[in-house]
Amino acid sequence: MAGRRAAVKAIDWVAFAERVPPNQRAMFNALKTRSDALSARLAALPEKPPTIDWAHYKAAVAKAGLVDEFQSKFSALKVPEPKDTQTAKIDAQEAEAAKSTAEYVQASKARIAQYEQQLQKLKSMIPFEQMTLEDLHDAFPETKLDKEKYPFWPHKPIADL
Amino acid sequence: VLHVTRPLHTTQQSLAPLPPLPEKGGEVRHGLIPEEFFQFLYPKTGVTGPYMLGTGLLLYLLSKEIYVVNHETVAAACILSVIIYGVKKFGSDVAAFADKLNEEKVARALAVKNEAIKDLETAIEMEKKEQWRVEGRSYLFDAKRNNIAMLLETNYRERLLMVYNEVKKRLDYQVAMQNLKRQKEQDHMIQWVEKNVIQSITPQQQKESISKCILDLKALSKSAQAAV
Repeated sequence: MAGRRAAVKAIDWVAFAERVPPNQRAMFNALKTRSDALSARLAALPEKPPTIDWAHYKAAVAKAGLVDEFQSKFSALKVPEPKDTQTAKIDAQEAEAAKSTAEYVQASKARIAQYEQQLQKLKSMIPFEQMTLEDLHDAFPETKLDKEKYPFWPHKPIADL
Repeated sequence: VLHVTRPLHTTQQSLAPLPPLPEKGGEVRHGLIPEEFFQFLYPKTGVTGPYMLGTGLLLYLLSKEIYVVNHETVAAACILSVIIYGVKKFGSDVAAFADKLNEEKVARALAVKNEAIKDLETAIEMEKKEQWRVEGRSYLFDAKRNNIAMLLETNYRERLLMVYNEVKKRLDYQVAMQNLKRQKEQDHMIQWVEKNVIQSITPQQQKESISKCILDLKALSKSAQAAV
């Protein structure tokens, strides 16, 4: 009975576990236990069933054609392989995941670029000892006092003092 | 340090950001007279020159009564001595305190800036880590496909096993049936033979065999002693 299903690929569970974020660990554990249960069940079954000793039965059974008939029908019998309906779905899921992953990576890269830009700005700032107040307002716009909104000293709401 | 002239607007280039102001101001002697004056007079008059000039000037003013000594002189002397005493005694402490205030302000600003830098760096690291995590998504799908393959394989093997078991059961049944029939025939035959034999023992034969048995027993009892 050769030419059957695709071989079972060896999965590196350790490397897999490393990449799981902490909030999805429960799902990962469930998957792992299910996988392990399945592989245990598979290992418990022999790959081929033991062969039937036709000679012994031919000698033992009195009825003439019975054993021959059984033997011919048995060797002619083809057990149908169970159909694989889910792999297509998994492949579709994988394709979708690849797409959403690409989007996520894109957004992530944009965020990284933003952070890098801010980091550059902060790192290339002149030291505080050499700054004038104007320079401080340029570097940190939130320190600038809004003289239009609050025309009277201290130019910010009292609660912020 | 002697006073450094800041080179502003000397060339066409504009110095931006401006070079920082020097830490300390120009040096002075006796709190009043800048050092440049002494350096200026040094070539011609040596070290004592400015002092001689000062003493001579003072004596000239006093003797010619260009500066008149009156009550205001006494007041000025008292006030100045108190001021100089105060500054000499507490000056450095006050300066240190003011410097500390300034430093605290700068340190606070610096702390804010450093924390911002650190936060940004950790954010960048987290993003990179998430990207790395996402790369491992193939593991998940491989695991799922593996599960499916295992299920299919298990199912197929179970089917094969079932076929084998069923056929074996039927063959074994046939064999067992035969054996059972054989045995029953044998038993029946034996019973039938026994029955017939018993039937064929006629009453006359029975009598004869019983009397023979009794004779045998009598003979035996004569020879054998009862063992106690």
